[in-house]
Amino acid sequence: MILRAILPRLLAALMMVVLVSVLVFVMLRQLPMDPVGMSLPPGATEADRLALTREFGLDRPVAEQYLRWGAGLLRGEFGVSVNLRRAVGPLIASVVPATAELVAAGLLLGTVFGIGGGLVLFAVRRTPWEGVGDVLTSILVSVPEFVWAIGGILLFGVWAHALPFIGRVDPQNVVAARTGFMLLDTLLAGRPAAFADALAHLALPATALGITLAPLVTRILRSSLLGVIVEDFVQMARLRGLTERQVLTRHALRNAALPTLSLIGVQAGFMFGGTLLVEVIFGWPGLGNLMVTAVRSGDIPVIQAAALVYCLGVLLINLVVDLAYLRLNPRLRLR
Amino acid sequence: MNPLSRPVRPHLSRAQLPAQGWAGGLLVLLLGIVAAAAPWISPAPPNEMDLLAVLLPPDWSGPGPHHWLGTDNLGRDVLARLVWGARIAFVVAGGAAAGAAVVGTALGLVAGLLGGWTDWAISRLVDLWMSFPPVVLSLLLLVALGAGLGNVVLAIVLVDWTRFCRVLRSEVMVIRRQDYVSAARLIGFGPLRMIRREVFPGIVPTLLTLVALEMGIAVRVEAVLSFVGMSVPADVPAWGQMIADARGDMSAAPWAILAPIGAIVLTVIGFNLLGDGLRRRLDPRLLGRT
Repeated sequence: MILRAILPRLLAALMMVVLVSVLVFVMLRQLPMDPVGMSLPPGATEADRLALTREFGLDRPVAEQYLRWGAGLLRGEFGVSVNLRRAVGPLIASVVPATAELVAAGLLLGTVFGIGGGLVLFAVRRTPWEGVGDVLTSILVSVPEFVWAIGGILLFGVWAHALPFIGRVDPQNVVAARTGFMLLDTLLAGRPAAFADALAHLALPATALGITLAPLVTRILRSSLLGVIVEDFVQMARLRGLTERQVLTRHALRNAALPTLSLIGVQAGFMFGGTLLVEVIFGWPGLGNLMVTAVRSGDIPVIQAAALVYCLGVLLINLVVDLAYLRLNPRLRLR
Repeated sequence: MNPLSRPVRPHLSRAQLPAQGWAGGLLVLLLGIVAAAAPWISPAPPNEMDLLAVLLPPDWSGPGPHHWLGTDNLGRDVLARLVWGARIAFVVAGGAAAGAAVVGTALGLVAGLLGGWTDWAISRLVDLWMSFPPVVLSLLLLVALGAGLGNVVLAIVLVDWTRFCRVLRSEVMVIRRQDYVSAARLIGFGPLRMIRREVFPGIVPTLLTLVALEMGIAVRVEAVLSFVGMSVPADVPAWGQMIADARGDMSAAPWAILAPIGAIVLTVIGFNLLGDGLRRRLDPRLLGRT
């Protein structure tokens, strides 16, 4: 039963992965760059050039080149970074936890503050405070995450010296990477001071990400609550003698949760992309910094792999949200 | 409020743009005037360097020519760059929004009107596009296209057409089933005339709203791309470029970074308020709620 619901979505997601990989491949083929020329030693002859072109497979048709690359991906071979001279697969695997940690922290903060804000705005409905809240959320929505990031650095880092704003942890607190998740690693190493330090490093970038999500959650939660609260079943619940708080938690919130959930799902995908910039600003050693460095130096194997991982992340998040939605929405269960 | 009283006099409330819409429109208008008048109101050429006067703080003392907002790390006047940057911002915002609107509307109309296989194919294309985080896709495109103002606009168009396509497609599907469209078909309207006279006017309100919002997004994306060094050439005074330039001296000269950030935030707020106002005025579903 549950399998029948999951399988088509899984297949569709797989299909998307294939298409995304084609798109990435085709796009990067347009690059006015010459990987053969970049790899040849000075004084190479035309014969060397031809040999290397053949070795790279660049004399084959584009479709065949793509199939070779795709087959490599399936075997877990992402190629070798041109600049770092390291296999791309392990390189990517070493930075993904940092990005995942950032997204998780940002999502948590954004969701908590967003739901809190939505409940507050709902509580002050039809009072003058509602207008204030409206304007405030409008402004919050308009401010891009990099502004929060730079503002946070200026205020809490440069001016108040309250929070660190470069990297994931102080050099003195570096612990052995077991999971790659700094918060977990410091705990596993049994060093609470390092854990606190990692948490402090996470504070500014995660807030910058979360603060862009929160007003969107606030808006949709409030407007769903406003829509639900006039429904007959809410009126019935009141007539049965439930307190306003019970009406809210047992009836209104449950029904308002679904649009909020699907919004968080869509925004989680965007947030995953938004980490790219936040990582660059905070010197966070994650996927974003890796990709931007690769873009600046034209390191195509790394760009390709990083872009693919970003898309995989988005598709994965969408799939999880889809399934959660299916589980939580009784109206979809019958089909 | 009695929910039944909601749709009583929709036309009256439709005629009024909410206050925030006016505020947004005014803000955008002001910025537009600054952008248009840049050559006359700018206190100095935007790229004029003065290496003896780098990182000067804002100076408001007495009359005479001053660096009102200070200078940056090459001794360029921050206010001058800010004013000229408004031009770039409007070129990017206008170009990108117009391009994305044209591409997205065309595909949305085709998908919504034809339905069937065409609709399926276009919808899957949109899905495919949406599985890229926008920043990542625009970065990839700029890697492929090369940097430069025109390519920034092109990249934003290629990333953001989906916003228009998705929304307008569903609008068109609703409109297509309206009686007045069937009536027009019965009278013998050809397909083009039908689109122009019956379908298109129905989606114009949404289209305008989306354009306003997209202009705000474009300003933001340009800043993001400048930030990672994939936008305009260094001699173009774009706001994002100013932020990227000023980042190194953030603690010594915060004004050089705060000025362009303030400009971007104001512009985005302006476009967003305008878009929200238009949406609330034009979307009949929101009339009762505001």
